[in-house]
Amino acid sequence: MSSAEQRPLSSADVFAGDGEIGSDLTKVDWASTPLGEPTGWPQSLRTAVDILLSSRFPMWMAWGPELTFFCNAAYRRDTLGRKYPWALGRPAREVWAEIWPDIGPRIDRVLGTGVATWDAALLLFLERSGYREESYHTFSYSPLRDDDNALVGMLCVVSEDTERVVGERRMATLRDLGSDPSVVRTEDETLAFVTRQLGRNDLDLPFTAIYLLAGDGSAHLAAAAGIPAGHSAALGTIPADEPTPVWPVAALARGESVLVPLDGAAFVGLPTGAWSQPPTQALLVPLLQQGGAPYGFMVAGLNRYRPLDGGYRGFVELAAGHVAAGIASARSYQAQQQRAEELAELDRAKTAFFSNISHEFRTPLTLIMGPLAELRSRLGDTDEGVREELQVMHRNGLRLGKLVNTLLDFSRIEAGRMQARYEPVDLAAVTADLASVFRSAVERAGLTFEVDCPALAEPVYVDRGMWEKIILNLLSNALKFTFDGTIRVRLRAEEGRAVVTVADTGIGVPAEEMPRLFERFHRIENVRSRSNEGSGIGLALVKELVELQGGDLTADSTLAVGTTFTIALPFGSAHLPPGTVARPRDRDPFATAEPFVEEVLRWLPPEAPTDAEPSVSLDAEVARSVPAPTTAVSANPAHILVADDNADMREYLTRLLRAAGHRVEAVDDGQAALQAARVAQPDLVVSDVMMPRLDGLQLVAALRAEPRTAGTPVLLLSARAGQEDSIEGLEAGADDYLVKPFAAAELLARVRTNVKLARLRNHHARWRTALVDSLQEAFFVCDEEGTVVEINPTFTDILGYGPDGLPYAPVHPWWPSRETEPEAHQQVADALTLLVGHPSGTYTIPVTHRDGHRLWVAAAFNQVQDPDTGRRVIVGTFRDVTAEHYAVQRESALAALSIRLSRADDLTDALHGVLEELQGLWRATRVLAVVFDGSPTPTVATTDPHQRWDTLTEQRRRTLTDLRDRPLLTTVADQTTGVGIAVEHPRGTMALWIDLGERRPVTEQDETLLALLAGHLGQGLHRVQQIDQQRETALALQRAILGPSQLPRDFAVRYAPATRPLKVGGDWYDTIALVDGQIGIVVGDCVGHGLQAATVMGQLRSACRALLLQDSSPSRTLTALDRFAAQVPGALCATVFCAVLDPATGELRYASAGHPPAIVTAPDGTTRLLDQGHSRPLGVRGRDERPEVEEFLPARAILMLYTDGLVERRRKPLTAGIDQVVTVLQHGRDQPIEALATEVMHQLTPSGGYDDDVAVLLYRHPGPLELDFAAESAGLAPVRTALRGWLNRCGLDPTDAYNVLVAAGEACANAIEHGHRDSPGGRIRLRATATADGLHLSVTDSGRWKTPQPGEDTHRGRGLVLMRALMDSITVTSGATGTTIDMQARIP
Amino acid sequence: MTTALTLTSGQQPDGTPVLTATGEVDMSNAADFGAALTRAVEAAPGRLTVDLTALEYLDSAGLAVLFPHVDRIHLVASPLLAPVLTIAGLADLMTVTEV
Repeated sequence: MSSAEQRPLSSADVFAGDGEIGSDLTKVDWASTPLGEPTGWPQSLRTAVDILLSSRFPMWMAWGPELTFFCNAAYRRDTLGRKYPWALGRPAREVWAEIWPDIGPRIDRVLGTGVATWDAALLLFLERSGYREESYHTFSYSPLRDDDNALVGMLCVVSEDTERVVGERRMATLRDLGSDPSVVRTEDETLAFVTRQLGRNDLDLPFTAIYLLAGDGSAHLAAAAGIPAGHSAALGTIPADEPTPVWPVAALARGESVLVPLDGAAFVGLPTGAWSQPPTQALLVPLLQQGGAPYGFMVAGLNRYRPLDGGYRGFVELAAGHVAAGIASARSYQAQQQRAEELAELDRAKTAFFSNISHEFRTPLTLIMGPLAELRSRLGDTDEGVREELQVMHRNGLRLGKLVNTLLDFSRIEAGRMQARYEPVDLAAVTADLASVFRSAVERAGLTFEVDCPALAEPVYVDRGMWEKIILNLLSNALKFTFDGTIRVRLRAEEGRAVVTVADTGIGVPAEEMPRLFERFHRIENVRSRSNEGSGIGLALVKELVELQGGDLTADSTLAVGTTFTIALPFGSAHLPPGTVARPRDRDPFATAEPFVEEVLRWLPPEAPTDAEPSVSLDAEVARSVPAPTTAVSANPAHILVADDNADMREYLTRLLRAAGHRVEAVDDGQAALQAARVAQPDLVVSDVMMPRLDGLQLVAALRAEPRTAGTPVLLLSARAGQEDSIEGLEAGADDYLVKPFAAAELLARVRTNVKLARLRNHHARWRTALVDSLQEAFFVCDEEGTVVEINPTFTDILGYGPDGLPYAPVHPWWPSRETEPEAHQQVADALTLLVGHPSGTYTIPVTHRDGHRLWVAAAFNQVQDPDTGRRVIVGTFRDVTAEHYAVQRESALAALSIRLSRADDLTDALHGVLEELQGLWRATRVLAVVFDGSPTPTVATTDPHQRWDTLTEQRRRTLTDLRDRPLLTTVADQTTGVGIAVEHPRGTMALWIDLGERRPVTEQDETLLALLAGHLGQGLHRVQQIDQQRETALALQRAILGPSQLPRDFAVRYAPATRPLKVGGDWYDTIALVDGQIGIVVGDCVGHGLQAATVMGQLRSACRALLLQDSSPSRTLTALDRFAAQVPGALCATVFCAVLDPATGELRYASAGHPPAIVTAPDGTTRLLDQGHSRPLGVRGRDERPEVEEFLPARAILMLYTDGLVERRRKPLTAGIDQVVTVLQHGRDQPIEALATEVMHQLTPSGGYDDDVAVLLYRHPGPLELDFAAESAGLAPVRTALRGWLNRCGLDPTDAYNVLVAAGEACANAIEHGHRDSPGGRIRLRATATADGLHLSVTDSGRWKTPQPGEDTHRGRGLVLMRALMDSITVTSGATGTTIDMQARIP
Repeated sequence: MTTALTLTSGQQPDGTPVLTATGEVDMSNAADFGAALTRAVEAAPGRLTVDLTALEYLDSAGLAVLFPHVDRIHLVASPLLAPVLTIAGLADLMTVTEV
C-alpha cells in the first residue's frame, strides 16, 4: 500500500537523499523525459534514487527506455566534473557519448541478462574537464528492476583509479631509473641506460631528449627516447647565440624549469608516444649539478591526456634528478679513472727516471774513478797533499756510486724488476765473512765486535748480492749510531728458520719513531750519529730485500740501550717463486762491500799515517795485485774491438788498452761492432750494454748467432750494478761482465784473462775458419730459412758480397731482378726451395755480381746439424761456371737452329722457325728479319705477325738500314732496345734484329752468341734455298703428271701419297671432258708407290685420257690400255675404274679393271656398289671381253670412286673398309661434296696415317649449275630454261621446281633492276647446288642492293615477299662489291 | 630477246570475253602484257576472264600489271601458278579458278 494516495509527494521529497544534488534534480524538466514527473515515478525508481543520493560512494544510475542519467554527489565530484548539472535527467548515451563504445555494450549486457559486470581500472577517456582526459575506473554495473521486477535500468558503483594507476606507472619508471645499473660506467652508457628506462614509459613521457651544456653555453643532444635524433625538436646542437632556440637554453642553464607549448613549426610531426596524438606541451627541467651549473636539461614531452599537476611535474623533475645523478656518477668515475692512470704514468716516469739517472751517473762516475785510480797509482807517492786529495775524490766517488746503486735498487723493486737468483748458501760462513769486512772499522771505532755464527745444519736459499746488501746496511747502520759498547752479529736456527740478529748498544730509537723505522726517506731528526749523511733509505731497502728473500725483518729498540734487528729466513726453497732457484756459483766475494766500508771509515777518526791504506779497500788490493796500466804492456797483444756510444769512454778504453799493447778498434754502437767483427774477427769485444741501434746484449746475441763470430769473447761494461743485470749479460752469452765504475787494472786483468781463455777455447774454431777461408770454392752456411750467415773469401771474390753484409736473408742481393728477369729470378727461387727443403743437392743458377754482371754458379749443398744449437743448417759450396754455361748455351742454340733449318720446307718457313728459336733463346719481345732484296719495300719476317715494313718506327727502319750497310756478321747492340746483325740471305742482305725490351742489358755473351748463330743461319738459309729450288722443280713435275690442274666444279677430289716428301704416288684420278658434254671419269692405282710408281702412273693416266677422247667407251678404253700397259714396265696389274657420265641424264657407263667398286648413295641413303663391270687388272691376259655396264645416277645421288689405299686395312677384309665409307656417305649425304670428301678422308684415316697412296673422287648428280649472264631483262628467259633443266635433273616435282624458278627469277630481276639499273653492262651470276635434301641457290650481282621502299616499286617488294614465301631461307649480303642473295629450299 | 608471250582475246562459250596468255611473263614483257590487259578490260562490257592456264611463268612484274584490274577480271590459272597468286594476295581479291 502506497502512501502516495493519501499524501501527494513533491519532487523535493523524491530527491531528499541529498540536499545539493536533490535541488538540482528538482530543476530538471522531468516531464520531457520518458520518466515523467518524479511524483509519478514507481516506488522502485524512487527507492533507487534515494539509495543513490544518500550513498557516499560514487554512483550513477540509468533508468527507463532512454536510460535517463542520475548520479550522486560523490560521483559528481570524482568523475562527472563539468558535465554537472547538465547531465542530470539526460539519456546516459548523451552523457557519456565519448566512452559509449566502451560502456554501451556492458550496459546492454546488464539489461539483457540481468547479470552485473565488473571492470577493474578500465582506461576511459573522459571529457569532464574541458579536454580528453586519461582516466581509469573500477566499476560495476548492476541491474535495476521496476515494481514488476522487469529490468529497467542499471546502477553503476564506481571508484576512480586514475591517481593510483598513473602514480604506480610513474613510480615504476623512477624505480627503474634508480635500479643499480652495475655495468654502467661511462657517461654514454649512463645516458643509454636512462633513455632506455624513460623510453619504456611512453605514456607519461611520449618523448624525452637529454641535452648537455657545453662551456660556451651551447647545448648538445646527448640522448633521446621516443624521438629520432635530427627531428627539428631534437636538434643535435643548439648554439649559444641562436636567437630563437627551439628550447630556451639560457633559462635552463640558469637552473629554471620551463613549460614549452609545442605549437611552433619546429614541433610539427612530433612523435605521439603511446597515444594517438602528439604532446601539446613539453616540460624542460635542468639536470642539476651539486654546487655547479646544470649539466644540461631534459626535455619531457607531456602526456596531453593528463594535466600537468604537482604529481606530474614532480615525476618529471625526479626523473631528471636520476639522470643528473647518473651523469654525476659517470663523470666522477671517469675522473677517478683518469687520476689512477695519471698516477700509474707518474710511477712509470719515476722508475724510468731512476733507471736513466743511474746510467747517466755511472758513466761519468767511471770516467772519474778510472782516471782517478790511475792518478792515485802514479802520483800517490809524490806528494802527501795530492795523495790525500785524491783519496777524498776517490771516497766520494764511491759514495756517490753507492747512493746511485741504492736508488736503482728501489726503482727496480718498485717496478717489480728486481729479479733475485736464489742459491743455497752456507749462511753462517757468508754472514761471518761479510761481518769480518767491517771488523777493522768497528774496532777502529773503539767498539767490541762479536760475530757468533755457528754453522747451520742446512743451507739457506738467498740471493747473495741482496744478502750482502742486507748485512752491510745493518752493520753500517749499527756503527753509525753506536758510540760505545758492542755490535753483535748472531746466527741461530730457531723454529725451522735461520735467524740473524744484528744488535748494537747504540742510542736506540724512540718508541714513537718505531712504526716509521722502515719507512722510506724517513729520518729520525736530532739524534746523535757518526754522520749526518744518509738518505734515510737504507733500512727501508733492507726490509724490502729481506722480504724478497721470503724472510721477516723486525726491530726491537730501547732508547739509550740499543737496537736489535732480527732477520728470520725459512730453510729450504719451497717459499721461493719457482724458477728462481739456481745452483751455487763461484763469485767474487763482496762485490758491493767496498763502498760501505769506505763510507764507514770516513766517519771514524783517521789513523796513523803508517796504516793509511785501509786494509779492506778492495780497490787498493787490486791495484797492488796488478802492474800499473801504463807499464802493463801485455805479453800477448790482442785485437780488441771496443763498442761504446760515449766518446769519452771510448777514448778512455782505447787509451787504456793500447797502452797495454793491444790493437784497438773502436766503434760507437753495437751494429757497427757487429759489422766490424764480421769483417775482421777480433780477439775480444769490449762493449757497453746501453747503446743505440744495437745494444750490448743484442750484440752478444748477434755475435753468438753467427758461426764465425760465435766464439768471439765479449766483455760487457754496464752502468747497471745489479746482480741480475750481470746475470742477464752472462746469460745472453757474454764471457765477462764489468760494472761501471771499474778500476783500470781490473779491466786490463779481465781483458787478459778473456783473451787467453778464448784463444785456448777457440783454437778449433780458428783452425776451421782458416780451412774454410783457404777453400778454392765459394763456401757458405745458411740457416733453415736460407739466410746466409757465413761465407768465405772466395764467396766474396765470386759474387762481390762480403762478410760485412752478413746475414744475407732471402731474397739475397745477388738474385736476378724479379722485374727485368722474371725467369732467372724464378730459377733462383726454385733453387732456394731445393736448398732449404732437401738434405742435399746441386743446382746451377744465374746470379748477379755486386757490380751488376751476370754469373752462373753451380752449387752443391748438404744439411748438417749444428752440434751446439741442434739446429739444422745448410752448408754449401759453389763455383763460377759462367764460361761453361755460355759454351753449353751456344752449343744447344746451334743445335736448335740447325734442327729448325733442316725441318723447313722453304726459305720463308726456315726463317720463321729461326726467328721463333731466337725469340725463345733470348726471351725477346720480338725478333725481326728484314731482307733487302732489291724490291721497293724490304721483305719483313717477324715473330709479330702484325708487323710490316711500313708499320715499323722510323728509328727502327733506320737501325735496320744501317745494319744492312755494316759488315756482315758484326753485332750492333743498343743497350736500351736490343741487338742486331747483318746476315747474307739468298735474296740479299738480311738485317736481323732482336728486341730485348727495356731494362734488359745486352751482354757480351749475347753478342758472341748472336754472331755465331748468324753465321750458321746464313749458311743454313743458302742450303734451304737450294733444297727449296729442287723441291720447286719436283713439285712442278708432280703437278704435271698427277691430274687435271682444274677439275670441273662438280667434282671433289682428295689425294694422299704414301711417301713423303714427294707429293705424288702410284694412284691417280682424272676427269676428261668428252664430246656431247659427256665426262670421262678415271681412278687408277699402279703397283707400288713412290717415284717409280708415279712415273708409271703418269704414263697410264695420259694414255687412258687419250684413249677415252678417241672412243668414249670405258670397256674399249680399258682393253686398249691393256695393250699399252704391256709396253710399260711396272704398269702390269694396275687397276683402273673407268666411267663415262652424261651429266644431263645421269647415265653412267663404266668398266673396272680389277678396281674396287665405285659407290652410289641416293638422297634417301640407299647405297649401291658399282661392281657389275668388273674384270681383271690391266695387262693380265684374259679371253673374255671386258664388260661394260650402264647405270643411271638418281637425282642428287653421290658417286664415289677411290683407290684401295682408302679402304684396305691389314687383317681386315676390303668390304669392312667399304662399309665404313658407305656409312660416312650415308651420314654426310646432306653436305656439299667438298665437305663430304674431307669427312671421308678424316673418318677413314688409320691411326698411324695412310700407308698406301689414296685417291678419292666424289661427284653429285647433277653437278652445280653455274650461269653468268648480262644484267638485262632479255636474258632472263634463257636463264629460266637452264634452271628448269637443272631442277628437272635434280628430280624436283613441277610445283617445287616452279616455286624455285619464280624465287630465282625474282632474285635475278632484283639484280637487274636494283643492282644494275644505274650501271648497265654488269653481269649476274647464278649458282645452284644440290644436296640430298636441299637446294642452294645464290644470285650475285656487282651492284648495290636497294631495300624496297614502301609505296615505291610495290611489285619489287612483292618480289621479295615471293622469294621469302617460296624458299625456306633467304639471306641478302650486300657490300661495296655487290649483292648476293642466298636461297635455301629443302626438298621433301 | 624478249620472253615469249602470246596473248589471245576471245570469247568463252557463254559469250563473255576472255584473254588467254601463253608463254612466260617477266619484267621484259610485263609492259606488253599490261597494255593488252588494259585494252581487253576496257573492251569488255563486264568482267574479263584472263586465262593463265597456259602460262609457264609469272613473276612479280606480271602480278603488278594484274593488280590495277582486280575488280574487273576473273583469273583462270593452273595449279603451278596457284601458290604465287595466293602469296601475292590475288586469291583474296578475285576468284581464282583452278583447272
